[in-house]
Amino acid sequence: MDTLVSLRNISKTYHLGKTTVPALQHVSLDVDASELVALSGPSGSGKSTLLNTCGLIDTPDEGEYTLGGESMLSRSSKELTMVRRNKIGFVFQSFNLVPVMTAYENIEYPLLLTGMRNMERKKRVDKILDQVGLEQYQQQLPDQLSGGQRQRVAMARALVKQPMLVIADEPTANLDTQTATHIIDLMKDLSRRYGTTFLIATHDQRMTERCDQKITLVDGKINTNDMQITADSELNKGRNG
Amino acid sequence: MKWLLFAFKNVLRNRRRSLITIIITAIGSSAILIGGGFALFTYDGLKQGATRASGHLVIAQKNYFSGEEESAMQYGLSNWQDIKQRIEQDEHVKWVIPRIQLSGLISNGEKTAIYMAEGVDPEGEVKAREFLIDKGEWLSSTSAENEDAQILLGKDLAKSMKADIGSSLTLLSTTADGALNGIDVEVHGIFSTGVPEMDKRMLYIDIPTAQALLDSQKVSTLHTYLNNTDDTEIVAEKYRAQFPDNALKNWEELAFYYVGVVNLYNRLFGVLGLIIVIIVFFSVTNTMSMVVRERTREIGTLAAMGTLPREILRNFVLEALVIGIIGSVLGMAIAGGFIIFLENAGFMMPPPPGRNVGYPLLVYFSGQLFVMTTIVLIVISVLSALLAARKGIRQPIVDALSHV
Repeated sequence: MDTLVSLRNISKTYHLGKTTVPALQHVSLDVDASELVALSGPSGSGKSTLLNTCGLIDTPDEGEYTLGGESMLSRSSKELTMVRRNKIGFVFQSFNLVPVMTAYENIEYPLLLTGMRNMERKKRVDKILDQVGLEQYQQQLPDQLSGGQRQRVAMARALVKQPMLVIADEPTANLDTQTATHIIDLMKDLSRRYGTTFLIATHDQRMTERCDQKITLVDGKINTNDMQITADSELNKGRNG
Repeated sequence: MKWLLFAFKNVLRNRRRSLITIIITAIGSSAILIGGGFALFTYDGLKQGATRASGHLVIAQKNYFSGEEESAMQYGLSNWQDIKQRIEQDEHVKWVIPRIQLSGLISNGEKTAIYMAEGVDPEGEVKAREFLIDKGEWLSSTSAENEDAQILLGKDLAKSMKADIGSSLTLLSTTADGALNGIDVEVHGIFSTGVPEMDKRMLYIDIPTAQALLDSQKVSTLHTYLNNTDDTEIVAEKYRAQFPDNALKNWEELAFYYVGVVNLYNRLFGVLGLIIVIIVFFSVTNTMSMVVRERTREIGTLAAMGTLPREILRNFVLEALVIGIIGSVLGMAIAGGFIIFLENAGFMMPPPPGRNVGYPLLVYFSGQLFVMTTIVLIVISVLSALLAARKGIRQPIVDALSHV
């Protein structure tokens, strides 16, 4: 498979007054297209920083990042915005839906940014509303929806533009077990349908187990055992195949 | 259209706060419209008064406006009938009226006082000017040969002379040659100008009487009344070329009171307008600052999804635009209601300084003023939004997303 996300020697340090906090230390990572990658680790391990870097909303102090074979870190702020607009979707822990927009409008928003024609936009939104099972809730405002429904709207919003990469930060953290399971199934299903790569920061064991690759971060570094396990698993898959 | 719809929904998000901002904008807009409308009403009233008093254009002998006469009618117009005849043929002109300015002494046999008089064409003057006759009648066009000349007295002068309708008085003045001349007159009417100083000194006589008293066939000035005030400058230019040996002034150059009031009101209402604009600016800035602060996380989310800073800014600007437009339209409605109320209430303004007659309190509605006010308020609202939102969109996306 083609490598979609490639990080090389990424480091990021935060300065809090006189204290310096190394969030990422020489992280290198490859993620293939259409993969579901779980990113876990204790609080403060650098998961969010890694996700933000991959999602182009934070810049590392050093290293190289290529997305779809194109170098990202030398680009201007406007260019990065356009990459996010066209190629990256976001799913947030607290859903982050715009409260004055209906479910339909929230999902439609990324397409409005791309300047897509009205008919095409409607077709896309209707299709994804059907896929996430929210057709009958499309005119509801976010505060009229349950947590699970809101997260489904957030997923639909992230996927409606058919991005290469979806960054999901603790997408099941605010959901009950049953809803979380539905969301995990949905992510898996949508990843398969759209061929989208998911980079998911999670503490949820069920989600980690269902991902193609699991990466654990400890003190801003990737736990090399995970890489080994993943490599072994890939090898076994190849042998069995 | 979608963006405007979202802006409208966002304005409704915190209804109470938006309502207060809209009300402040509306009050500001209505205050400007009412204040400005009152000024326009006053200007118009004074303009009409000034053009009625002097006519639109005054033609005189070359030195009349600049020189000091050493003898009566030294700078009078001798060829006035010829000029009058030529001007009357102009399609822009409604009337041409001659006037004579003179002064002297008036006596009832027991008491003598100073007078200021205007020699007028009785028939022409009543067409152009309104006279408030308290008693008696306006001057007749022709007096019978064996009768004394008619005179119209200011009410306080009449009181001073203990004169009533039919009373005989004597007017004294120096002739054009410098000799003293006197003429007996009969009080035909008593008038009031609304200005006490004028009522104490002013009187009207007809032109032949004035000419007889001054022993001159000249008149002081020719007053031209046009069909349309807006044509004043065009016609003035034409007459300057046509009568190069004469002096010509338009009504505005002679309406010192009008010019003074316009200057005063322009400054007064200008400062008032500026204060209102500042209040609206701070009110909208305050609202938009709160809005931006409250929506920091949303700004982060939109930016993460690929919204450019200028597109986020546009959303806030559109919200301010909605507030500005609703506020201005509401302001127009308030001003309109107030104007209609004033028209029906019949309130009177107290007499201005130097006058003893008040005038009705009315306010004009000016479409031009409304458009200007709306544009200014919208620009102010948009500037406020830009100022407030600029800080919000500069924040790093990661910080904005973690904002609580």
